[in-house]
Amino acid sequence: MSPRPTGYRGPPGQWAFLTHRVTGVLVFLFLLLHVVDVSLVRWPDLYDDVHAVYGNVVLRVFEVGLLFALVFHALNGLRIIAVDFFPGAVRDERRLLSGVVALTLAACIPGAVVILWPFFEGRF
Amino acid sequence: MAGDIQPTASRQPSGKNPRRGRSFETWSWLFMRVSGLVLLFLALLHFAITHIINDVVTTDHAFVARRWDNPGWRLFDWALLALALLHGLNGVRWIVDDYVRRPAARKATLWLVGGVTAALFAWGTFTIVAF
Repeated sequence: MSPRPTGYRGPPGQWAFLTHRVTGVLVFLFLLLHVVDVSLVRWPDLYDDVHAVYGNVVLRVFEVGLLFALVFHALNGLRIIAVDFFPGAVRDERRLLSGVVALTLAACIPGAVVILWPFFEGRF
Repeated sequence: MAGDIQPTASRQPSGKNPRRGRSFETWSWLFMRVSGLVLLFLALLHFAITHIINDVVTTDHAFVARRWDNPGWRLFDWALLALALLHGLNGVRWIVDDYVRRPAARKATLWLVGGVTAALFAWGTFTIVAF
């Protein structure tokens, strides 16, 4: 057996595979909940009351988590597409994955600051 | 034969005609790539609008009413709903195929997830169309 049979076996590909699944399931579960909370928009007062909860700091942290999950899943998905369509990319697996992690952090840390800003200002 | 390499259970979902199964799984694989690319733009733009450009507390009923005044945004949100649910459902199907090994339990799990997803797709579509 060659040391690295496919992009999905062994570190770091195995971690990427696992994280892709976990973030995918988390985003899917949030989507199911989100369809229900948006459907309350038919009752304006009820919608506004329920929706106000999203401004709470606990849910802001949750939104930051959603951002990280979404962006990682999206960028790692691009990496998977790259490996699928350009098999040679497997050789750069480690570098590609580093790029995915670096871009995720570069996009999400400023995003997290924006989402949490009202809390830092003491508004929520 | 015992020495033959058997296909993994994960890509033989329900023990149907393997030739038909393979073709379906090929389309399923392609769908995940194409819908994933589209969702990258739809989902990240949606998140940017509702959490980064606008603060989440300002996206109240009036905000939704203003946005859905434009049929383009309704179409955008419906496309996001449909593609995200289908992409998520197919992803969960792969995971269930990998980890739920007993055929009856696998079938029941898939029907449950599929049923919930279909119901929420109908519910979400009604929300967008009937607003």
